[in-house]
Amino acid sequence: MPLWFVRGLRRGVVTTRYPARPDDSAAWLPRPPAFRSWQLTREAADRMVAVCPGPALSRRDDTLVFDVGACTACGRCAEAAPDAVAPSGEFELATTSRSALIKDIPIRGGGR
Amino acid sequence: MNPSQDEAEVARRLRDTIAGQFGRSLHIRTLDTGSCAVCEQEIRLLAAPHYDLHRLGFFFTPAPRHADLLLVTGPMIRAFDVAARKTYEAMPGPKVVVATGACALGGVYPKDPFVHGNVGALLPVDVWIPGCPPSPLALLYGLSVAVGRLAEKAPGLTFIADGDGGGA
Repeated sequence: MPLWFVRGLRRGVVTTRYPARPDDSAAWLPRPPAFRSWQLTREAADRMVAVCPGPALSRRDDTLVFDVGACTACGRCAEAAPDAVAPSGEFELATTSRSALIKDIPIRGGGR
Repeated sequence: MNPSQDEAEVARRLRDTIAGQFGRSLHIRTLDTGSCAVCEQEIRLLAAPHYDLHRLGFFFTPAPRHADLLLVTGPMIRAFDVAARKTYEAMPGPKVVVATGACALGGVYPKDPFVHGNVGALLPVDVWIPGCPPSPLALLYGLSVAVGRLAEKAPGLTFIADGDGGGA
């Protein structure tokens, strides 16, 4: 008899809380990038904006505007500027406000 | 308390009341508005034993009249306007609309003559789930946010990875 069945009979509860334990498969999920602001220059930002296939990245003066909702986690920005991009590890991104998904990344690299 | 704070408080209380009414039995109608079907693949996997969304009281229904939550995928093609509106209107209130995937959030077809570009252009969206596709775990989290069981954490994330690297 499976252990969870016996445990369920004893406790009266067979379900677990969310999440019962960290899910190993989370490491393979497509996840949006995070940016290293001190390695980020205007040139690197422009390169990333140029390769981004959607409207997820744009540059406003010394700010890289990252729309997490529009990101498809394709990884092209990480190829265009490997130093400035790191995996964010975040996938639990659901939100009740669309604007909460638009993030301002300061461009601090390049001697400014 | 200024009026906008007052409104936010009322909105929060209303959302809590609605989430309470859904309790632990929420029926989901999925609506494909021109997606590539990978979002549907992930939604289908929610019912598999590994994720098993039925344990949380979520169920799929084929009838919008039985549905509490509309799970919309795709960039909202214009040819689907009437069907989408009819589906939404057929649902009894209170109802929740969840936009699912980068297409539905305007990330894939922002400017295209054949689509609205995002679900918000036609339906009042309550919860946005990013991802291309959103994994079943991300969908489960999004559904839990939609019924108020989990707090959303996206507003607190910066996506700046300074210091020890990694982590948003």
